[in-house]
Amino acid sequence: MTSTVSSIDVSHLTKAYGSTVALNDVTLSVSTGEVRGLLGPNGSGKSSLMKTIIGLTKPSYGSIQVLGYDVRANPMEIKKIVGYVPESPRLYEFLTATEYLDFIADVRGIPYEQKKERIARFVDALDLEGKQGDMISSYSQGMKQKVAIIGALLHRPRVLLMDEPLNGLDPKSARLVKQLIHGLAREGVSVMFSTHILEIAEAICDKLTILQGGKILAEGTSKDLRENAGLPGSGLEDVFLKLTGTKGVEEIVEALIR
Amino acid sequence: MRLPVLFKFAKVLMISRLRSTRRSIVSRSITSRPILIGIIGIVLFVAALFFGYLTTVFLSSGGAPLAGPVAHQLVVTIFGGIPLFLAGFYFTMGLLWEVNASTEAESTDAINWLPITPGEYVAASALSTSYTYSPLLMVAFGYALPIGILTGNLAGFLALIPIALLSTSVGSVSVEILRSALASASTAFNKLGGRITVMMRILGIILILLVTQLLFSGVFLIQIISSLVGTSAAASFVPVFWPTLAITNLLQSDFLGSAGFLGLSTALFLFLSYIAISLRAKYWAVTPGAIHFTGAGSVSGPSWLGYLGLSSPSIAMLKREIRSATRRKEVVRLMAIPIIMPIMISFPAIFSPAPSSTSGPAQIDPIFLVIPFLFGIGLGSLFLGMTSIGQEGRRLWNISALPVSANMLVKSKLLFTFLVSSIGLGLGALVSALLLHASILVILGFLGLGIVVILAEASLGIAIGSRFPDFSDGPRPRFVTVIGSIIGAILGIVEMATMALPIILSFILRTFLSILMPLQFVLALSGAVAGLLAWIAYSISIKPVDSILSELPN
Repeated sequence: MTSTVSSIDVSHLTKAYGSTVALNDVTLSVSTGEVRGLLGPNGSGKSSLMKTIIGLTKPSYGSIQVLGYDVRANPMEIKKIVGYVPESPRLYEFLTATEYLDFIADVRGIPYEQKKERIARFVDALDLEGKQGDMISSYSQGMKQKVAIIGALLHRPRVLLMDEPLNGLDPKSARLVKQLIHGLAREGVSVMFSTHILEIAEAICDKLTILQGGKILAEGTSKDLRENAGLPGSGLEDVFLKLTGTKGVEEIVEALIR
Repeated sequence: MRLPVLFKFAKVLMISRLRSTRRSIVSRSITSRPILIGIIGIVLFVAALFFGYLTTVFLSSGGAPLAGPVAHQLVVTIFGGIPLFLAGFYFTMGLLWEVNASTEAESTDAINWLPITPGEYVAASALSTSYTYSPLLMVAFGYALPIGILTGNLAGFLALIPIALLSTSVGSVSVEILRSALASASTAFNKLGGRITVMMRILGIILILLVTQLLFSGVFLIQIISSLVGTSAAASFVPVFWPTLAITNLLQSDFLGSAGFLGLSTALFLFLSYIAISLRAKYWAVTPGAIHFTGAGSVSGPSWLGYLGLSSPSIAMLKREIRSATRRKEVVRLMAIPIIMPIMISFPAIFSPAPSSTSGPAQIDPIFLVIPFLFGIGLGSLFLGMTSIGQEGRRLWNISALPVSANMLVKSKLLFTFLVSSIGLGLGALVSALLLHASILVILGFLGLGIVVILAEASLGIAIGSRFPDFSDGPRPRFVTVIGSIIGAILGIVEMATMALPIILSFILRTFLSILMPLQFVLALSGAVAGLLAWIAYSISIKPVDSILSELPN
């Protein structure tokens, strides 16, 4: 249920870490209920963009508005309404999953009954039932990812930022998360979603943004991207490789196996 | 025991332990060329030769060679002190190293996967400890050599070499016992849950630290044993003195006694090695693994802390702090500091007679005896505060992504530090009442002042820790930069002195000018100064914490 009203407005955003420019004059807008896929090679600025939107890092230049709140002026308001799943989340390993989620819920001010019901529902849905009393340090990467995803969804965010959320998930959980994203978008939640798996991006995203070297290389639906690349009948992988200028993969492979 | 494996493994252990501290020029240079430690040792040996020579020159009269009872006394004191000092030093350094280690890092140590026997591990680990601190051994030898030659005790020096080596080995192997004991304690406590476990863990850590401190505090041991056997030969019953007695007996030409103590020292080393190997075999690796706390785990309901006016997010933050502190080994040891400090300071009081009514309470008010406890508690609070921000490590995003303000984070850190330090304050009050016979008024004054001192020092600690945080995760996380530690320690002492100024002035006026100032007034004045400093420190910690929350460190 994509609306024309935008939830995320990024305008001329530049983010530099010392002399390294992670984001360079990025402007994009994500509508209410839209699922936006962020694609790009490693180091292209996907994670930096999400971190800057949630307020984990400050923009060097430009502005960001989330549901009308400016990230510089109202970072706390943004954190209240946004759910965030980082790439390779470092959770509190000394807590159990229940304790971690309980902590997140309490900080977000979720009332006891709702907290109890939501944690139980998510834990059951993501197959953590029976393991939620174990320390997170004993979890596999996929289980930690599930806990991070639940932590991002507990407060029913209106905007969801997910940085490669399917990393390490088993097929059932991955499908569940994908369908959950669709479901949340139908309810009006705007989702920004980064992934390296192009099939997934194509399957669940309304629009795609390809970043490279901190700049937006291309933007639009998968159909738009194919047309931009001049590859209307091709797969998204070919389109991505062409747009990002990645050439000669076959030759490299030949050289490696020789 | 495979010797090539042993030496290779000892080298790897030493390098990994040194590299796990911080990436400094010194650690980088040493770990890329471990031979540098040996070279440093040789340089220090040569320098110590000079100082040893100077000592004999200084003590000899009119250029004549040092001889007679003075020379004998000097040799006995220095040669006898070296083994005791080395054992204590090696053990203390190893202890400090160990209590800093993180459980998570240890459990993922590659050592645990490799086919290495407990004996090889203990031997290699002890060897790496011995080699790491070997420059000190070289200093001791360098200092003793000219004294031995110039006083005609070269044979004594030659005997000192194996005895000193034995002492360092005793110290190093004792560290291995402690390492396994801590791992065992950590694992055992982790298998349980609940508030009792929290208390047990803290008490366990304190107990281990106290026992190990006492083990190498010969004065206390002699006093204890003297009270048991009532003879001046009490030192003979203290194992840590045996190497010292071996060399002093030799210097006094008691060859039989020397051989006996040398045998006992060797037996002690073998016994400690056996214990170390047995413990290592039993508690091979720390297991933070699949630990159930409360079955499936239950979400928390309304907390009684709410009645104190704390909001739900604040309570959640505090609970997280407590869980972090009681489940992470590298944080538990920080908690022990403000608790253990007053106990350590009270040791002299425990081992000496309490002030009696005839010893002149009119001259020294008990308040001046109990106030020093606050010094330890305050510094403990400072240290806990300084490390509180950096210990978030790479998990900081969890807080940054949540609607948690800088105020809330600082308050939760402050409240947690206050709660922990209050235990030390309570212990200080208990010691004051039981050992120093302080009156109720004095104890109330002590507690009242203690509360604001803790707040002032903890706030200063947070202000420093937030300006100089060290978020790097490693086997030995430090949580605050070296510069921050130095600045914090200096400011902490300055703050302590400022708070104590009214009390010091009152003491001076009372002692030298016989001017009596009302105790309540003096304490209130100190309290007011402490309160003001607490408020200032709290205020200046908000901005850096806010910066940290809005710009995750790279």
